[in-house]
Amino acid sequence: MPIVLNPKGFKLPRIEKEKFILLIRLGLNYNQELGLFSVKNYNNIEKLIDAISGILGSEVIFSQTCTRCGKSFSCSDCKYVELCTTKDLPFSCVCPQCLRDRKQFEEYLEKF
Amino acid sequence: MRIDILWVEKYRPKKIEDIVGNEEAKATFVEWLTGKRKTTKKAVLLYGPPGVGKTALVNATAKEFGFTIIEMNASDTRSEKAVNEIAKPATSYVALDAFSGGTKGKGNMLFLDEVDGIAGNEDRGGVSAIIEIVEKSLVPVIMAANDPDIDKLRPLKKVCLLIRFHQVRIPLIIALLQKICLLEHVKAEFEALEHIAQNSKGDVRSAINDLQSLSEENHVLTLQDTMGLSSRNKDISMDETLRGFFSAKSIDEVSGLLFRSSVDYDEFLMSVSDNLPKRYTNPEELAAAFDLVSQADIYRGRIGTENWHLLKYFYNALSEAAAVAPQSYKPFELITPPIRIITLFWTKGKRSMLDAICRKIGAQCHVSHSKAKKDFVPYVKEILQKKKSSALIDWFKFTPEEVDFLIKMSKY
Repeated sequence: MPIVLNPKGFKLPRIEKEKFILLIRLGLNYNQELGLFSVKNYNNIEKLIDAISGILGSEVIFSQTCTRCGKSFSCSDCKYVELCTTKDLPFSCVCPQCLRDRKQFEEYLEKF
Repeated sequence: MRIDILWVEKYRPKKIEDIVGNEEAKATFVEWLTGKRKTTKKAVLLYGPPGVGKTALVNATAKEFGFTIIEMNASDTRSEKAVNEIAKPATSYVALDAFSGGTKGKGNMLFLDEVDGIAGNEDRGGVSAIIEIVEKSLVPVIMAANDPDIDKLRPLKKVCLLIRFHQVRIPLIIALLQKICLLEHVKAEFEALEHIAQNSKGDVRSAINDLQSLSEENHVLTLQDTMGLSSRNKDISMDETLRGFFSAKSIDEVSGLLFRSSVDYDEFLMSVSDNLPKRYTNPEELAAAFDLVSQADIYRGRIGTENWHLLKYFYNALSEAAAVAPQSYKPFELITPPIRIITLFWTKGKRSMLDAICRKIGAQCHVSHSKAKKDFVPYVKEILQKKKSSALIDWFKFTPEEVDFLIKMSKY
């Protein structure tokens, strides 16, 4: 069972200095006050996931945030997951409910 | 279906938020440009597959923040001299209105598109000149590339903040198509939009083109209408496009065909030129068709790599060339691939031989390749034709094959 992380803030167990430096180099940010990691740079996101998976000893996926309703959802809910080149990566997307809901879409358009 | 305005053009992003997907990259870029991102990098390199919004982001940002874009793209020579002539002046002063405190008029922004295309002799010294400009620049320097991993760009990457772009996700493309349908009053089935988005493989431009071609006329789009898409986009070969082009009965038929086909425009233009004399036997018809093809060629040149809003003129001129005399069509054997490409293929061996000779002359006489070809080869040939055992052969270290080639060559 993969571990689902929120890219805006997640906790990791205490790690060695070298591993911490590696995570920061790969694009993580660490908030000392809250003790939370967040994704700051997405250029090496695949390597970053590998590194986190190694630390947690389990497969890691990131939750998605819907650009329309702002809710979190998982790529496994999406029917296009097999065609997606960025599945489980923390990038903007539209959740299946919003995509189907025409009324909500029209409301969303009115914002612009 | 004569195309009046392409939806790709009509819905070109005007604001940063209009760009679909890559929110993270967009945010990073804006932070860098506005100085909110803590970095010492004076330049930024946007990289990722084509059609994901790199150039659109630069244009939209410039518009929104009031920058004037000074652009050098793949169609410009980007040698050290060219970069210094164009980019240096543009980056070495700050516009006076930048100090006025207004929101508009922030001065210049240097944009080097397709930097991974910098290669060969024409662009010699280009990369080092760009690095020097980045270090001394007083204005933002932005670069875009599809493949940042080529060796030549390694020094550039060191001085740039790298921002990666990913393929646009299918749900986001569907959302964009829904928005266009709403604005264009197209009644579209969700499954139809889904099919177009899946077929586009992350290329927003091709998805919008498909939507327009399928729904512009009736303003209704069903899943059945999109069924021909996958086979159409993938399987229309050059041969089929040419055959359809020449046998078309009307301008509308050709327009539709060209709009849907994904053949290489330059190669198609060459093939049309090659086949026109076979299609039109009447000299007047042939002249009229060639005139229209030459117009299409002018538009193709002006389109370059980014002025795609001119594509409709290219299509229209070509469509008219195909329909100069629809009644006179008789099936004929097509010439394909283009004669120019076949000729280049046939003469490759000869050109390589001449290149080797020019290199040897250049090395001995300390002249460039082109000077050796223009000013030396004719005389060396003349000398060798008169005296085959000339001391020149040893001096230039010509092989017997090269000597034979020089003596027999009729054109250099």
